[in-house]
Amino acid sequence: MRFATRTFLSSFVPIAILLAVSFWVVRASVISTVRDGLRTSVRDNQVALTREQQRTEAGNQKLLEGIAENSALKAGLQLLITERSARDEARNTVQDQISEIGDSLHADFIMVSDANALPLAAMVRDAGGFAPVDLRRVHLPHQGFFTADDRLYDVASVPILEAGTQVASLTVGSRFDITRFGTSAVLLRDGSLIAAQTRDLAPAQIEKALAVCPAAADCEVNIQDQRYLSLPLGMNRGAGGDGYTLRTLQNVDAASAPLQAVLRRQFLVAGLVALAAMLAISALSTRAIARPLADLAERLRACATAGEFPEFPERPGDLREIRDLMHGFNQAAKAVRESRENLTQAYVQFVGSLAQALDARDAYTAGHSQRVSEYSCAIAKVMRLPDADIENIRVGALLHDIGKIGISDLVLQKPERLSPEEEQLIRRHPVIGKRILANVQGLESYLNIVELHHENWNGTGYPQGLKETDIPLQARIVKVADAYDAMTSDRPYRRGMPHTKALSILSDAAGIEMDAAVVQAFAALDHGGKLRAAVDATGSLRNLTLAVSTATVKPHEAGEPEPANRPAQTRTESHGLPSGKGTA
Amino acid sequence: MWSKLVGSSLLGVALLAGADIRGTITIDRKLTHRNVTASAGIYQRGISVPLETEADDDPVAFERSHVAVYIEGNPSGSGGASQPLIPPAQPAIEQRDRRFFPDLIVIPAGSTVSFPNFDPIFHNVFSLSKAKSFDLGNYPKGQTRTVSFAAPGVIAVYCHLHSNMSATIMVTPNRWATRADVTGAFTLKDVPAGTYTVVAWHKAAGTFRRTITIGESGDAQLNFTLPFLEAFGTKPIAHR
Repeated sequence: MRFATRTFLSSFVPIAILLAVSFWVVRASVISTVRDGLRTSVRDNQVALTREQQRTEAGNQKLLEGIAENSALKAGLQLLITERSARDEARNTVQDQISEIGDSLHADFIMVSDANALPLAAMVRDAGGFAPVDLRRVHLPHQGFFTADDRLYDVASVPILEAGTQVASLTVGSRFDITRFGTSAVLLRDGSLIAAQTRDLAPAQIEKALAVCPAAADCEVNIQDQRYLSLPLGMNRGAGGDGYTLRTLQNVDAASAPLQAVLRRQFLVAGLVALAAMLAISALSTRAIARPLADLAERLRACATAGEFPEFPERPGDLREIRDLMHGFNQAAKAVRESRENLTQAYVQFVGSLAQALDARDAYTAGHSQRVSEYSCAIAKVMRLPDADIENIRVGALLHDIGKIGISDLVLQKPERLSPEEEQLIRRHPVIGKRILANVQGLESYLNIVELHHENWNGTGYPQGLKETDIPLQARIVKVADAYDAMTSDRPYRRGMPHTKALSILSDAAGIEMDAAVVQAFAALDHGGKLRAAVDATGSLRNLTLAVSTATVKPHEAGEPEPANRPAQTRTESHGLPSGKGTA
Repeated sequence: MWSKLVGSSLLGVALLAGADIRGTITIDRKLTHRNVTASAGIYQRGISVPLETEADDDPVAFERSHVAVYIEGNPSGSGGASQPLIPPAQPAIEQRDRRFFPDLIVIPAGSTVSFPNFDPIFHNVFSLSKAKSFDLGNYPKGQTRTVSFAAPGVIAVYCHLHSNMSATIMVTPNRWATRADVTGAFTLKDVPAGTYTVVAWHKAAGTFRRTITIGESGDAQLNFTLPFLEAFGTKPIAHR
């Protein structure tokens, strides 16, 4: 798992969960608070409405009691009870009287009954006026509801008193209209719904829900996951005893439903926004935290790929930990670099020793590698190559003939002319040298010199036959130095030629086998004795660094060969001397 | 109708005739409020409505026709209050549609009034007035009762069973009494010469008195303007 991923997850996930949970809790609490508040308010309204209803009914009752004091009605009733001969007229009289009362009360039903609750006369409002009711069909409670001709009446009775004694009852009713209440109401008889104001609910649902409600008490029921408040409505009706129940049935959640929906939506939006913000913050902070590390990791990976251990510059914006880390890395890298350098150095020395050992195999070639190295460095300096290149040339030139280790002494030191097969063997030494060094880490940069110091400018060299600038400059430099040293050195079969002659041969070969620029640089080295000085300078240096091999080095190796007493050249070396017979 | 009866009955005593008193009752405003209840059927009563919404006649005409005009006291040389020259024919106050009809009669003292019931329901006619109190009891359709009124005065007649039924009987001390017609015009015929106090009475407006002197010949003119009672308890101001 990546550091960034872990940082992100460990910062985002817990906070996201916390955020979601707290949002949910707050949302639930707000919604329930709102709902409870609205419920309370609806309930208060309901209670107030019910109270008002009761007050109205009480007022109506008082009004009825006043009307029951009507002396004309009392006289009429007296007449009805006592009259024997003209009973129809007597009943007409009373029916007429109660019709008048009913008219003035805007009632739909009015009746008088005697002290034993036996109906005496009853009138019902018809189209245009009041019509008498067949008394045999009238059985109505003192208070409550009464059905006649499929019409439901809501009735109230008051006693008609004479001297404090009830002589009759006056019953007044109006058509029951469930909508006349200020609130949603339901009327049930023996538990079955007769009338309801709400159309949203099925009668069965209402009946089932209200079955548990006590007749005269407040009641809260759940229908379809909504809370309903049901209050007894009207002060007299509950005691009707006729199986009728009139109650309010108000959905107390309906009022809060839109608000709840709004709240839910807003909380959802706010929650999502907060989560998104949280996500962005987490991502940004993760990036801020993980980026320096990722950068560092990237740099380290690049180092690992390149196999180098550069010094990382400390940047001002870096975190202290990162800086510490870098510092540590730089220290370690430095140590690694140093140790690697030491290793390389050691190896170079070792290989150098090998080269000198090689040189030492033949007394005549002793010091050759060292001299070539010095000449090459001198040329490189004249050509103003960078110090790193000069260093590379120095070591590379030192090793340039390392491949000769793999070539038999019989061939290498054969004083006679070489056969073509032997020539081929000799010519393999650059490739062998490359193969030896290629396996050693840190010597990669010398491979070109080792492999290509026998390539000719005109493409006639070996092993690859490269031309002109396809041949690395370092190899071209070493070639000139090598050729010069070969010409000026003594050989078992000849003396070394004088400096000037060698130089002229080199000049002749410029642009053909040699790089003209390098030859020119070498020639410039000669003017004013620079070469000499350089050789002297490096010679003394060599004496210090290559102490092991100095014992075997001849005193004249410093450069100016002594031409006089050398044996004549009897064979052609593989140095590509233009004058040689077997130039490759 | 009643005044006509009175007038025709006076033809027999033309030798004693004096001048006529003619006049007009002016009432500029409605004085009473009435509701009418239309009959919807024999056993059904209709819905009561205020009169104005249905009646297209002049509401003040009703007021004018309910003013009784009579001469107070005993005119000299003529028949006294207790001894009317010619007893009038028996007037009747019928009960129809829960109302008394007519609801105002003006009769000289000594007259007898009958109260026939034409409604299909009982009525119980009574009066508690000082001049004459009576209670005729419950009686159904087709029956009637009679009452004699010996003393002059205002008799308010009611029904025990129907508190909104009301009629007034004005019993005058002499025969010079009448009801104004719907235009407010009235005539007191054959009044002997002399100085009299003429009274105009309206149930709501009250009693208004004016004095007039009648010569041997020539009719006299006497007009009344009945103001509305300004407020409850305010005594109406008589015009003199």
